[in-house]
Amino acid sequence: MSRAWIAILAAVVLLPMLVRHAIATEIWIFAIFGLGLNLLLGYTGLLSFGQATFFGSAAYVGGYLLKHGGVNVLLVLALGIVVGAVSAAAVGYLCVQRSGLYFIMLTFALNQMFYFTAYQWTSVTGGEDGMPGIPRPAFLGLRLSEPLAYYVFVAACFVIALGIMKRVVESPLGKILQAIRENEVRAQAIGYDARRFKLLAFVIGGAFSGLAGVLYAMLFGIVPLEAIGFVFSGNVVFGTLIGGSGSLYGPVIGAFVFIWLSESVSVIWQRWPLLLGVAFVIVVLFFRGGLVEAWDRLATWWSVRRLRGVAET
Amino acid sequence: MALLRTEDVTKTFGALTAVNRVTLAVEEGTLHSIIGPNGAGKTTLFNLLTGQAPPTSGRILFDGRDITGTPPQRIAHLGIARSFQRTNVFPALSVLDNVWVAVFARSRRRGLGWRPADRYPDLTERALAALGEVGLGDNARRAARELSHGEQRQLELAIALAAAPRLLLLDEPAAGLSPDETRKMVALVRGLKGRYTIVLIEHKMDIIMTISDRVSVMHFGSLIAEGTPAEIQRHAEVRRAYLGGIVAP
Ligand SMILES: Nc1ncnc2c1ncn2[C@@H]1O[C@H](COP(=O)(O)OP(=O)(O)O)[C@@H](O)[C@H]1O
Ligand SMILES: [Mg+2]
Repeated sequence: MSRAWIAILAAVVLLPMLVRHAIATEIWIFAIFGLGLNLLLGYTGLLSFGQATFFGSAAYVGGYLLKHGGVNVLLVLALGIVVGAVSAAAVGYLCVQRSGLYFIMLTFALNQMFYFTAYQWTSVTGGEDGMPGIPRPAFLGLRLSEPLAYYVFVAACFVIALGIMKRVVESPLGKILQAIRENEVRAQAIGYDARRFKLLAFVIGGAFSGLAGVLYAMLFGIVPLEAIGFVFSGNVVFGTLIGGSGSLYGPVIGAFVFIWLSESVSVIWQRWPLLLGVAFVIVVLFFRGGLVEAWDRLATWWSVRRLRGVAET
Repeated sequence: MALLRTEDVTKTFGALTAVNRVTLAVEEGTLHSIIGPNGAGKTTLFNLLTGQAPPTSGRILFDGRDITGTPPQRIAHLGIARSFQRTNVFPALSVLDNVWVAVFARSRRRGLGWRPADRYPDLTERALAALGEVGLGDNARRAARELSHGEQRQLELAIALAAAPRLLLLDEPAAGLSPDETRKMVALVRGLKGRYTIVLIEHKMDIIMTISDRVSVMHFGSLIAEGTPAEIQRHAEVRRAYLGGIVAP
């Protein structure tokens, strides 16, 4: 097992001892959300500013089913994944027709359309008040209504999601997406239909967002309107860039930092987004690869120093 | 039968006719060169052949099949590969991956595959073979962006070769190379001769004259002459239009 996996498993075990269970759970949910975004952002080079579309749509559908159906949890998760993937297929199909700034604006504009639909459709979504009263039914004897049990459930979902994403980015598909990111013209010239592959990245990323959305609805028992709004879309981009979009684990680290800051520091200090802003500026100016790169550089610096020390004695 | 045939292919950009009623036939197994001064329309002609842009009029036939206006990703699957005049690789990917994605593109029998990319030994072997062919075998693990300009030109060629194409279009493979590197590149292209059907764009006359089976001369978008290297050298109009003082009479 690689060191990254050992670190992840250690974090899964230690986290609920260090922070409130709800925060710990939210971190892994946000990490799943970030994994989905980063397939687009980091691997395909597409800045989607509308990931909350898929997150929120799945959260509403999942929340609605749990409220009214008494449906099996796994089935709800599966449906959430499907809703995320299908909404991403529809949105992605339109967005991949354009590139650059127009692409980004399309993801944003379509997100706004979904947001206003949710805002207006109060009979289902509750509009501004959100969709409250979402239960967490038991699953295979695990009483998910208990915070720790739900944490374990979400952490397991995350580990599975990470394993799948690792497989995706290491598969030929991962290489093809990176090739498209690096040079779309050449990727086409060697035989890849760039639009089709970008759409595929959307669909996979949307599925991850959908899973995260349903887990989020279950965590708080409510789907707030923001769950489908541009602030959520921005947060996941923010978190992923801070963690580092250049690696598989970047968004996981980003989720950690982002949720921890927003949930812990915000209690002490109302203006915490300022801190986040500063962190973001530092990343963009000095560590384009996010915290992952900062860590790499620190490790290199440290080992060079140690070697020098050895050489001098 | 000609593997590639164009019939009155024309491309205009506004008032400019970059390619003007070009009719060309490339025989299977030959090395067919296209020469002409800068701006003659050679690269534009390649862009039409590989679907980067549709011709304004005319037809393009590959192996008897009309491929006019077919998009690049389909052209690649028909067995036409090209290298670019301006290096056009995947900078952040490793040298091996640059070639590997080209090999994989042409071997889709497995669908997309769920296996990690490094567990396709046959494809990796073919990619390494293409790198070996251009002399980049020892650089497989480096990032493409770390290569020198000369090495990037070699990689450019390896990506095209990786597709195992029936028709290879090479757009000034020696562009920007030193005399020494140019000699190596010429030797490389000479080594490909006979194994591939090649259309070579080049404007260094000495290279063209020693390597080509046939030569077409392009000038202001039009073909003004075609023949064996020896015939082209004797051709009066070509000498006036292009060769000038380059080749001693
Ligand atoms: N996309 C384009 N738009 C407008 N003009 C172009 C375009 N591509 C090429 N041209 C023009 O067409 C002419 C032929 O260019 P090109 O095919 O690159 O010549 P060559 O490869 O023989 O040097 C040039 O005058 C060039 O400026
Ligand atoms: Mg040219």
